[in-house]
Amino acid sequence: MKKLLAMALAAVMAFSMVACGGSSEGETSMIETKPEKIVVLGQSSGEANMNIVRDQLTKAGFEVELNTQPDYASWKTQLEGGNFDIALTGWTTVTGNVDYAVRGVFHSTGDYNYGPVIDEKVDELIDKGASETAAASVATYTELENYLVTENAYVLPLYSSMKMMAYDNELLTAEGIYQPKSRPGRWEMYEYIDAANNDTRTLTLTQTSSTPSTLDPIQANDGTMNTLSGNMYIKIINLSDDDEIITDSSLSHAYAIAEGNSEYYFLLRDDVNFAKVENGEVVDTGVLVAADDVVFSLERASNKNSVATHKTFTLHNHMQSIEIVTDLAELETKKDSDTGATLLETLNKGVETPVTALTDVDEEVDNAAGTYQVVKVTTTEPFPQVLNYLAHQSAGILHKEQVESYNSKFTVEAYDPTKDVCYGDFAAIKAGDTSMLWCSGPYQFVKVDDYGIDFVKNPGYMPEDEEFAPSIKTIYMKFIKDTTSATSAFRAGEVDILGSVAATDVEVVESDATNTVLKRSSNGVTYAVFNMREGSKMCNVDLRKAVLYAIDQNDFIAYNNGYVMPVYSTVGTLVETGNVHTQDLVKSNEHLAAYQATLAE
Amino acid sequence: MATKEITKEMSQKEALYIKKVNKRKLSGSLEFTTARLGWQVTLALSAFFLFQAVRKGGVWFAVAGVYLAGFALDYIATQRIIKEVTGDTGVISDTTRKLGWLMLPFVLAGDFFMFIAGCMLIRKEKNMEYQLSVYSLLVTIFILVVSALNLFKESQADTFWLGMGLYALYAVLNLVIMNAVNKYTYGKKPDKKFLPYAYICIAGLALGNVFSFLLGIISLGKYYNKNEEVSVEWIDVIRRLFRNYMSCVGMFIVIFLLSVSIASMLTFDYDIAISNNFAARLAAPSLMYPFGCDEFGRCVFTRIIFGARISLLVGMISTLAPCVFGGMLGAVAAYYGGKVDNIIMRVLDVLNAVPSILLAIAVIAAFGTSTTNLILALSIGGIPGYARTMRAQVMGVANQEFVEAAKACGAKDGTIIFRHIIPNSLAPIIVRITMGMGSAVLSTSSLSYLGIGVEAHVPEWGNVLKAGSKFLETNPYIAIFPGLAIIIIVLSFNYFGDGLRDALDPKLK
Repeated sequence: MKKLLAMALAAVMAFSMVACGGSSEGETSMIETKPEKIVVLGQSSGEANMNIVRDQLTKAGFEVELNTQPDYASWKTQLEGGNFDIALTGWTTVTGNVDYAVRGVFHSTGDYNYGPVIDEKVDELIDKGASETAAASVATYTELENYLVTENAYVLPLYSSMKMMAYDNELLTAEGIYQPKSRPGRWEMYEYIDAANNDTRTLTLTQTSSTPSTLDPIQANDGTMNTLSGNMYIKIINLSDDDEIITDSSLSHAYAIAEGNSEYYFLLRDDVNFAKVENGEVVDTGVLVAADDVVFSLERASNKNSVATHKTFTLHNHMQSIEIVTDLAELETKKDSDTGATLLETLNKGVETPVTALTDVDEEVDNAAGTYQVVKVTTTEPFPQVLNYLAHQSAGILHKEQVESYNSKFTVEAYDPTKDVCYGDFAAIKAGDTSMLWCSGPYQFVKVDDYGIDFVKNPGYMPEDEEFAPSIKTIYMKFIKDTTSATSAFRAGEVDILGSVAATDVEVVESDATNTVLKRSSNGVTYAVFNMREGSKMCNVDLRKAVLYAIDQNDFIAYNNGYVMPVYSTVGTLVETGNVHTQDLVKSNEHLAAYQATLAE
Repeated sequence: MATKEITKEMSQKEALYIKKVNKRKLSGSLEFTTARLGWQVTLALSAFFLFQAVRKGGVWFAVAGVYLAGFALDYIATQRIIKEVTGDTGVISDTTRKLGWLMLPFVLAGDFFMFIAGCMLIRKEKNMEYQLSVYSLLVTIFILVVSALNLFKESQADTFWLGMGLYALYAVLNLVIMNAVNKYTYGKKPDKKFLPYAYICIAGLALGNVFSFLLGIISLGKYYNKNEEVSVEWIDVIRRLFRNYMSCVGMFIVIFLLSVSIASMLTFDYDIAISNNFAARLAAPSLMYPFGCDEFGRCVFTRIIFGARISLLVGMISTLAPCVFGGMLGAVAAYYGGKVDNIIMRVLDVLNAVPSILLAIAVIAAFGTSTTNLILALSIGGIPGYARTMRAQVMGVANQEFVEAAKACGAKDGTIIFRHIIPNSLAPIIVRITMGMGSAVLSTSSLSYLGIGVEAHVPEWGNVLKAGSKFLETNPYIAIFPGLAIIIIVLSFNYFGDGLRDALDPKLK
């Protein structure tokens, strides 16, 4: 027995001796560096992104500490306190133009310049790009991107998400489903396959927030109300699915840009009326959405002091004046900046009956007889991208008297949100003031409770045979707090259109043949900013580059099943710059070593 | 069977009587209880593996075959035991006992129930020390078996072979000790020659092997017990504890997890648990990844093994800390009574009025997410419960004669509370601790599941479960295994606590 034991012992010892002499890893040409401590700030909703960044930085020789915050508010507090080295964030260019994609996030005056990036050259390039037409600005924006990312590593690009929406293909026609890159969905185009359903069946949509911040277009620009406001108020111009400027579903028959790129003319339609709620029913007010409403709405958008909480002023501060054109001669003499033809010729291309007279009196308007209204927008400097901002939900047209009937009860300076009710005050509407809203868009807001909002189509919105007139009579916007539950509700048939499908859910949703998932690129970019506050170690460009080169975007793509795309900066989704980010651990290591060398000195 | 005349009515009564007698005989037989649970569990597992084999084929057939063979063997052994124990002699034959040897190797397939049954069957004389040495050996073998699964991975931790070697050595040592136990511990007092072994056993605590530690201190306790005629009370408690097989199984699982969280430092690669590997994203269970991979391509099995460390650590500290604070507050409140009692208990009532999970969420929201804060958050909520239990117990004890006597002798209050009252009020607290441990593990997991426990990439069972919850429909295994782990540890603590309660109850002596 003892012998046996001794033999067993010897065998085990020999075994472990052999094992201990195992081989070591193959050597690479990496420079020896100390683990560099780095704090990554993010929200728990972006936990997966944080994990991928943590993993990649750890592998590149950093010692990562995560600062995970439960929501945006606490994330913002940490950010303002400077408790981070890298902060994960995202940006969606909802207007589809590059200026919006860079001004807010990189310009030294930007509201969302979290770093912040304070660099004169960046400001200069942004301002230069804004004054150029689309074709000419490509070079400027490419230079900006190179300067921002390649040269200075001011931003850490992670990926650009895809926009994915799902609908029931046995219920809705494919032709009616639009999936715009930037703007919210176009409800007026939705159509049931069985046309008899259009008047009887309620279409159910869903959104996460049950408390829209406001229903006044200019007082917010966030996910809680963008879609609602976008379909409640008409704009004088529109964006196509691919962010081209179009007049479809807008208040204009046509538009023209005068030479010099500072004057913009819009030829208005005469077949859109305001709707309102009376005794719980939606009725046509008989009031035309006319030039004076356009002037009123755009003036309040471009005036910082028009309301107490103006959240979209930076989108509209380029508008210097908005006026009604009554002199036909102005259109006959001024030239179109693109074609060189007269403005009148350009505008006439959009209508059947040519323009013979202009008026500023609503009652005189009669497009069929050749009497039209024209609105002219003048910008402070040449700024073609103003059209994108005019297509944004915040440029929605409101009824002058209706808005003033609420907002004239108090002054802007003395406004007290706890007492005063301004136009669009969601709490007041929820409490029962449903007659407040006069909608110029395809759908009229009827009522709201804790579970959803009822909409009915605007009876005065374009004749029924018109292409852009809404087909479905009633729409219900159901509040479902999280996307997982929304997906379940869609699959169970409680919701007809699912506005956004998570990358991990695509497979499950598509497994049902009656569901179609539409996928397209979007302007949503997920990126990280560096802490550039004074005294932060991230002010060192070598350290920033060490981080930049450590990031491999392929991991994000793999994690998201291929439903996200590589990106170089927020510019990249809008302009072909040709830049591609690739991971380079050798370079990352060199820069890290260089940074640590400067520290040693 | 005194009468030979059996009427119909008589025979029914008699049958009932015989049935009862047999039942009592069997329940006293350790061989029977262990073997019965052995075949039951093995049958259930073989059914599961067979189901898998029919669906997926391949290696599952082999596993199902092994388990079915195990079941057949154990079932036959159980039937023989029943026959022989309830038979005329009531003695298990040598042939049956030899079957026990055949049952041992099944531990390599992970069936520890059969190993225990086998060990209990092969020896006729079994004292508590023998059982302890069996469990101690089993823990070591099980660690080796679980660690050996890493062999199927592409690479192992640098210290893998070192760890395996050391644990193999330790297993051999366990065998040697088992042999020594059989030789030296069957008297009233262990032989002097056993003392060195006892010290080695105590050192086993460093590896988390509590069974070995218990074996060591029991032997020493017995050896240094001056009065041979009186048995040591705490040893009796442990002996009574070992009478309840389910509580032993619970204890085994807890101690195994404790040991494996120490062993994993050597035999498991932490990198596989936290490093992303998208090539293996959502991989199905295989030999390389026994429980599959999660959405980041991290091995779920490895994550569960490392998760045991945090879950147990948080579970233990966040149970013991409020127990100490709450216990002291309760004792002081009950001993002094009056205003002191009123103030302490009302403050604790306020704390008690806040649901503990909400309190934990509030604490974490205020101080941020980290393991330390998690422990703090869970601990605070537990204080009132322990204080109440202790207070009730102390109130009963404080009026007894021995306390009066201590006071009469002029002992200080501190001495009376800590030397006389608390030790006599501990029993219900100990039970509460074991029960509380399970719920603490559960709370840790729930908080992590809500995203406010430990950091998301840290392998903790709640985190692992959370990662799986997104894929319940397409890849259910990612959530099933961590879920099972949580269920098993909570059940184990509960069974263990149950057994401990019975063992400590003077009425059940």
